[in-house]
Amino acid sequence: MPRRTRALMTMAALAATALIGASCGGDDDDGSSGGKAKLTFWHGQTELWADCLATQIDEFNRTHKNIQVSSDTGGVVADRMLQKVTAGLQAGNYPDVAYVFGSDLANFARSEKLLDLTDSDEIDIDKFYPAARDSATVDGRVRAVPALIDNLAVVYNTKLFKEAGVPFPKDDWTWDDFRATAKRMTNDSTGVVGLGWPGTGDEDTTWRIWPLVWQLKGDVLSEDGDSVGFDGDSGEGALAYVSDLAADGSVYIDTTAGSERMNQLFQNNKMAMTITGPWNLPDFVDAKVSYGVAELPAFQGEHATIAGPDVWAIFDNGEKRSKAAQVFVAWLTSPEQTLACAQQAGSLPTRPDVLDQPGYQDYVESLPGLGKFVDNLDNARVRPTVAEYPEISQAMGKAIGLMLFQKAQPADALQEAVDKSNAALKVPGP
Amino acid sequence: MSAAVRRLPFSPWHLLLAPTAILFALPFFWMVLSSFMSNAQINQFPPTIIPDSLHVVGWDHVLRRATFPSWFANSMIVASVTVISNLIFCSLAGYAFARLRFRGSSVLLGLILATLIIPFQLTMIPTFIVMERLNLVDTLSALIIPGLVTPLGVFLMRQFFVNLPREVEEAARIDGCSRLGVLVHVALPLARPALATLAALTFLITWNDLLWPLIAINSEDTFTLPLGLTTFQGQHTQDWAAIMAGNVITAIPVVIAFLLAQRTFIESLTSSAVKG
Amino acid sequence: MTTEAAAAPPPTLRQRVFGETPSAWVFVAPAAVIIVGLAIVPIVWSLVLSFRASDLLSPGRSVGFANYEALVKDPDLRSAIGHTIVFTGLFVPLSIVVGLLLAIALNRRIRLIGLYRTAILLPFIASTAVQGVLFSFIFDQRFGVANAMLDKLGIARQGFLGDPDQALLVIVLIALWGGVGFSVVIYLAALQDVPADLVDAARVDGAKRWGVLRHVILPQLMPVTVFLLIWQTLLSLQLFDLVYATTRGGPLDSTVVVVYYIYKQAFVLFHAGYAAAVAYVVAAFLIALASLQFIYSRWSARHA
Repeated sequence: MPRRTRALMTMAALAATALIGASCGGDDDDGSSGGKAKLTFWHGQTELWADCLATQIDEFNRTHKNIQVSSDTGGVVADRMLQKVTAGLQAGNYPDVAYVFGSDLANFARSEKLLDLTDSDEIDIDKFYPAARDSATVDGRVRAVPALIDNLAVVYNTKLFKEAGVPFPKDDWTWDDFRATAKRMTNDSTGVVGLGWPGTGDEDTTWRIWPLVWQLKGDVLSEDGDSVGFDGDSGEGALAYVSDLAADGSVYIDTTAGSERMNQLFQNNKMAMTITGPWNLPDFVDAKVSYGVAELPAFQGEHATIAGPDVWAIFDNGEKRSKAAQVFVAWLTSPEQTLACAQQAGSLPTRPDVLDQPGYQDYVESLPGLGKFVDNLDNARVRPTVAEYPEISQAMGKAIGLMLFQKAQPADALQEAVDKSNAALKVPGP
Repeated sequence: MSAAVRRLPFSPWHLLLAPTAILFALPFFWMVLSSFMSNAQINQFPPTIIPDSLHVVGWDHVLRRATFPSWFANSMIVASVTVISNLIFCSLAGYAFARLRFRGSSVLLGLILATLIIPFQLTMIPTFIVMERLNLVDTLSALIIPGLVTPLGVFLMRQFFVNLPREVEEAARIDGCSRLGVLVHVALPLARPALATLAALTFLITWNDLLWPLIAINSEDTFTLPLGLTTFQGQHTQDWAAIMAGNVITAIPVVIAFLLAQRTFIESLTSSAVKG
Repeated sequence: MTTEAAAAPPPTLRQRVFGETPSAWVFVAPAAVIIVGLAIVPIVWSLVLSFRASDLLSPGRSVGFANYEALVKDPDLRSAIGHTIVFTGLFVPLSIVVGLLLAIALNRRIRLIGLYRTAILLPFIASTAVQGVLFSFIFDQRFGVANAMLDKLGIARQGFLGDPDQALLVIVLIALWGGVGFSVVIYLAALQDVPADLVDAARVDGAKRWGVLRHVILPQLMPVTVFLLIWQTLLSLQLFDLVYATTRGGPLDSTVVVVYYIYKQAFVLFHAGYAAAVAYVVAAFLIALASLQFIYSRWSARHA
């Protein structure tokens, strides 16, 4: 072998060894050595809530001398949490606590590494609102702790309403009122549109329709959970309503990733109403939009709405860390701590005893209309925690898309969604 | 060329290139201008192009971040090592595929390209498992090792070497030069534009990579720049000014890399002696 | 240069027995080890996964060929493949032709040429996330610049990314914008290597600009054109980031391409096993295609 080549190969081999060697000195703590339990906490949040959580982590570490929660957040935002935690679970290197979307929990629950908290000494799930409790429960077992809860209501632009001479929505308004209002507020010459609806076909598109299905006496799943509960009048009625809205020309179909365009339009006084949650209120305040909040309309007097809770999932990293993680999450979701960051999180209280905390009034008044969202929790229902929900969501999302784009009849779109969902429910296992 | 055109004080190519260049450069300028807006202005719709005043809030947020220098340094380290390693190993392999006849060369080249067919969305998990077994998760090595040699580089260098005139190489062989010597002393100097291009492209791809660092890195001081910038993106709100500022900062080294690469083109144009 | 071709040094015994193979393998060893070596685990892992029903969170179970049987009947997969073919069929030829034209235009020594070259490369340098944001502004149905211009020209407003029938084409445009720079960079480098004496000789023989291009320059560019064809095709089949940043596969699944479909199956619907099977079928098809092409070129070379 020519001398030069041999030299090259030796250098390469040395470099490779150096690279690998340099990193083998990394710390390898599993918290099982005597002393502090070290926890990794991937909260998936950024900006204001992340800053608030950082303060909470410091506070917790200060007051709990035998537990150390790392301030490293794992470098992952909530949107990518699923991919990263999945990779981690596969490789055996996963966090102790992670922020998980409520709609993903049922699938995470199939992993035995997700702790079963039903009999936990630290965590008392009954202290939370029923909606929050339900989204943390899978198959009757508590598998996570509620982290955030919200719900959908109608936020309307008072300035645009005044200019158009249209009265503000009343608390007992109906979907017919809503449709008429949207149509009146839509004005092509001024470029104002009545409302917006996400059009990408994913969960953002779908979850807005469940309140209509519930109000029409249907549900996502049937009683026994083996088939869907929205075949028939409830599903068809809901889809037909969306189709009517679109046919009126009052809907802005937002096809951007993350549905940002809708909010931008609302903030720029180009959209009269938006069906959204409390997380947008800080932006509206920043953008100096004058708005009001009204409960979702009703078909027959029942103003059901949907809540989309997210949860803290605790993973099993050995007994010591599991216990410490439960202590931490219990502390994090205590009434005082929940209130401490609720405003930054854009979350509503996850438990009734938050309302008794000092400082609660300040929180409610920090954002106009927030109180209405809190009250609305009484009307809120949640999606079922079943592993097949993502497929039902996709199927229904497609159907709603067909309505928005006026590409199909409600009955046909519904049939397709029902068939696909039922097929998914029949498949055993993953 | 018509007489009328020749009377222009500048080359007529400018008439084509200038508008095209403006068209292509607009997104970058919009990015730069947006980085000097306030978040309120960026959120305006329809969007505005000129900042109403010089807001540095975006730059402030990014540069003030305590770990920002680490992000930059990490990206630099990973990208630089990857570029150097690719220059060496892709030249070696590319030359062998182009000039040396050996059994299995087509199959090997095909294999190297075939590794690209399975999407990274799937392969990232087993690759992560491998890194975990090697104890390299959350280190820069995890980012560097998979990129030490890229199929792009091997294939690109091969195509360039195929194109070089054989006579000069053969003359050197006759003079008793070893294969490696021919590569180093004859082929590589002729392939300067290709090497510069490979360096710039490898730098770009490594520098902008987001998905793999996201999976492989956990600690904020080990982030690369694109990964660090995701911390300005909330679920419902984004710090757009900071994101734009961050993207400008991210783009600058790459622009420099491509400018440097183009230098060698100009040098090669003038060094016609090499072609003799 | 000598007029007689002198012979290369006589081969040694070792060289006569093994050919160039030993030294060649030393040259390619690092590349082979790293690329193929690191790819082995993922490739085997994905293959095993394709025979299981797995969500990657729980153990899952083996299902034999069930995934493969299912995907043959999957209409959504067929749509995804269709979209990918449309995208590739439009993007690859356009990016090469436009790239070549731009590179030829940029391969001259006029003032500001460095500036022009850099300007045309800038979209290629920006991340897809930024591209996504920018273009969803430009192509917004109600307020975008594109529709505003159409208004001025008296043409009807278009739905662009919000129209199920147009979204994929708009994505091709955005991808071209961002991707043509790659072809330009490669062609620029290749044009540097076109021997000046060849061009001069052709000119002396009376060839016009177009003739020089066709008979001298283009043949010289053949190897990199082959590279670009293969590379851009491979990249097009991998399209994901741009779709994720702009339409998330919508509206009405009109922009779901194969890799996006795989992502959805694995990380939205928790069917990672099925996703792996899809990936393998696509891979197998591509490899079959490439092998056929390879065998054909060997056969035609032998029978030429």
